Amino acid sequence: MKKVMVILTLLLLMTVIPAYAGDQYDYKSAEFKEVASQFMCMCGCGQDHFECNMQGCGLNDSFKSEIKEMMDDGLTKDQIKDYYLSMYGEEILTAPEKKGFSLTAWVLPFVALGVAGIGIVFIIRKWVAGYKEEETSFEARSEEEELEDEIVKSMIDEERKKYF
Amino acid sequence: MHLIGNISIYLALALSVYALVIFILGIYKQDQRLVDSGKAATLGVFILASISMLVLFTALGTSQLQFEYVALYTSTDLPLAYKLAALWAGNAGSLLLWTFFLTMYTAMVAYSKKMKNNPLTPYVASIMLGNTIFFYIILGFVAKPFVLLEQVPLEGRGLNPMLQDPGMLLHPVTLYLGYVGLAVPFAFAIAALIIKSVDAFWLRMTRRWTIIAWVFLTLGNVIGGYWAYKELGWGGYWAWDPVENASFMPWLTVTAYLHSVMIQERKNMLKIWNISLIILSYALTLFGTFLVRSGVLTSVHAFGDSNLGAYFLIFMALAVIFSLYVLMSRYHLLKKDSGQFESLLSKESSFLINNLILVGGTFAVFWGTIFPLVSEAVRGTKVTVGIPFFNTVMSPILLALIFVMAVCPLIAWQRSTVKNLRDNFLLPAIISLVIIGLLAGLGMRAAYPIIAYGVISFMILTHIVEFYRGVKARRKVTKEAIPVALYWLMVKNRRRYGGYIVHFGIALMAIGIVGSNFDSETMKTVPKGETIEIEDYVLTYEYLAQRTEGINDIVFANIHVSKAGKDMGYIQPERIFYGSWEEPSTEVAVLGSLREDLYVVLSAWERDERATFVVKVNPLVRWVWIGSYILVIGSIFAIWPGKYGNITPRYTGPQRKVS
Repeated sequence: MKKVMVILTLLLLMTVIPAYAGDQYDYKSAEFKEVASQFMCMCGCGQDHFECNMQGCGLNDSFKSEIKEMMDDGLTKDQIKDYYLSMYGEEILTAPEKKGFSLTAWVLPFVALGVAGIGIVFIIRKWVAGYKEEETSFEARSEEEELEDEIVKSMIDEERKKYF
Repeated sequence: MHLIGNISIYLALALSVYALVIFILGIYKQDQRLVDSGKAATLGVFILASISMLVLFTALGTSQLQFEYVALYTSTDLPLAYKLAALWAGNAGSLLLWTFFLTMYTAMVAYSKKMKNNPLTPYVASIMLGNTIFFYIILGFVAKPFVLLEQVPLEGRGLNPMLQDPGMLLHPVTLYLGYVGLAVPFAFAIAALIIKSVDAFWLRMTRRWTIIAWVFLTLGNVIGGYWAYKELGWGGYWAWDPVENASFMPWLTVTAYLHSVMIQERKNMLKIWNISLIILSYALTLFGTFLVRSGVLTSVHAFGDSNLGAYFLIFMALAVIFSLYVLMSRYHLLKKDSGQFESLLSKESSFLINNLILVGGTFAVFWGTIFPLVSEAVRGTKVTVGIPFFNTVMSPILLALIFVMAVCPLIAWQRSTVKNLRDNFLLPAIISLVIIGLLAGLGMRAAYPIIAYGVISFMILTHIVEFYRGVKARRKVTKEAIPVALYWLMVKNRRRYGGYIVHFGIALMAIGIVGSNFDSETMKTVPKGETIEIEDYVLTYEYLAQRTEGINDIVFANIHVSKAGKDMGYIQPERIFYGSWEEPSTEVAVLGSLREDLYVVLSAWERDERATFVVKVNPLVRWVWIGSYILVIGSIFAIWPGKYGNITPRYTGPQRKVS
């Protein structure tokens, strides 16, 4: 049913929106790039259909001309996307969709980072609280003092190694 | 020769088993003679692995087509360098290379002077031998490199043209040295757990091995990127291919380890975490190998028709279960004598945040890589996870990492104060904001790159401040001249300042990575004498010609280039037609400068000599390569032994009967 709807929409758009008809898109135009780079080339080059320059990749050539034809006929980026989705499924896209189960692909890394981040802050606070209980005195030291200490220590070490 | 090859494999397998058993017996009986015998056997295994390599090299170099491997991956007309490099073009050969490196590292550890009298030695060698045995089982029974054909073909199938590139001589070798190199810290970590000696000493011993593996992993990835840039003709260098991800993930976790290990050294904390990172890094190398060999995911790097994945999956599972068992059994020991965190605002905390981002990044890459499998398992729907996903997800993570790299060096250990932060960061922050303003003023409108360049400049500036303060502090004590003070400051603190040089390298790479996203491209079909214009460049297509190299025909276009009216010379993009391969390959022509690369691909041509070119202007790409050189220089500086680089001390701890 979905396929039929898509095809009907496409046909309708082709006849109803003549304003776009006749526009000629260049294969390397920004508009073409926007549309073609959504789709993964299936010739095994690992590139999208815009980038694939693989000699003899007939699939890419015909795909490109088909996309161009649709663009020349006035179809939008999303309409072309829906058309190929209905034909090939989500595998044709270069990235998972941002809806349904595929949304987890986008969200989970950040959720994991957020949870781990909260966990780390919690752990550090716990460690710091444990330290504060034992703490007797503290004098804030600057990094510069630390550096000087390190340098002096290394020089003393060197002298010690030389003479003892 | 076939016999020598096979004997070397099976004898090495037998000797590896012997070495492992004799080491275990030696440890159990505390008999040094048995341990010494085990060490001699590891040397024997290495010699046998070298013989196997030599036999295969000879067979490849002399085109002995009766060997299946030679017939599959070479042809008689192939240049000698590529005939030899075909050793790692196929499954069996590349696994032999892997095994060779593994036995080499094992022998190096067993006979290292620094390991003398160290009770860890037989344990480390045993663990590495466990790995060696697995690889020899594969070489002996699954992917055999010395199989003979029943009928000797007149000609071999030749080497895939995409592999006929200098990158093939370096990229796999460096990557394998990195991958296999991670087996060494893994073995050290497990050995330290087994003998319950998890002090900071084993960290110092393994650090150099870890950095060496890390440098090779870095080199492998960068060389691979450069190869892809020059060879594949799509103008990029990193495509987030599953196999590229597989080598990037251990790189991230090892980077995390190299930072968090400093907390263990200073505070005796994070012992479990550090060992877990080592285990994870090693497991990720096996996971990467599983990906390459199994074909479960589509990848341009994958070895075809292989059922090896299952073996690697089982081995990886066994290695991880064994490691986790050992780790858990020593949990109480690792929890003991832990130091303390004194403030939320300290260098220790910033290292933890650094680890969070690096491991979070690893998870993001891992999740994206396996998501097609997850989606298929859960929904029964295949999806593709490509460049747009990884760019979107990883950009903020890597940007956050650069920010932490900027902040980390200037925060004091133990506790920092708001005043410290203000003193340290005010000037770099103001200058970075000015740079952001300048970029916006110069017409840059995209928010992400502006923020990225602001953060990168902030990072570079904080590092310059760190060098400045070091020199100032040293001069205060020694009254040396500035260059002398800088020299001694760096030489006497190789690790710290080597690390900062690495950070500079990463900053330069980041400049290139962000900049290269602003590429512009055109594709045009032009007749002779016509021009193609792109940005300031005018390319005049002069003629198309053909030359022969061996049995390969090379078609090239001669193009004159001028930029803003200035003569830039000629470039010749090529297409190579191979005598023994159906598909021609692209040889792009690159005219590069620090500002940008003019990148030209000869795409197609007609009988009337009209030719189609894809022309790209890729800004700042050269910074990626320059950054990587600096990164490697920094790493070498950090691990250079020298007079002041005493980073791998000899073992002086408690003695045991066997070592």
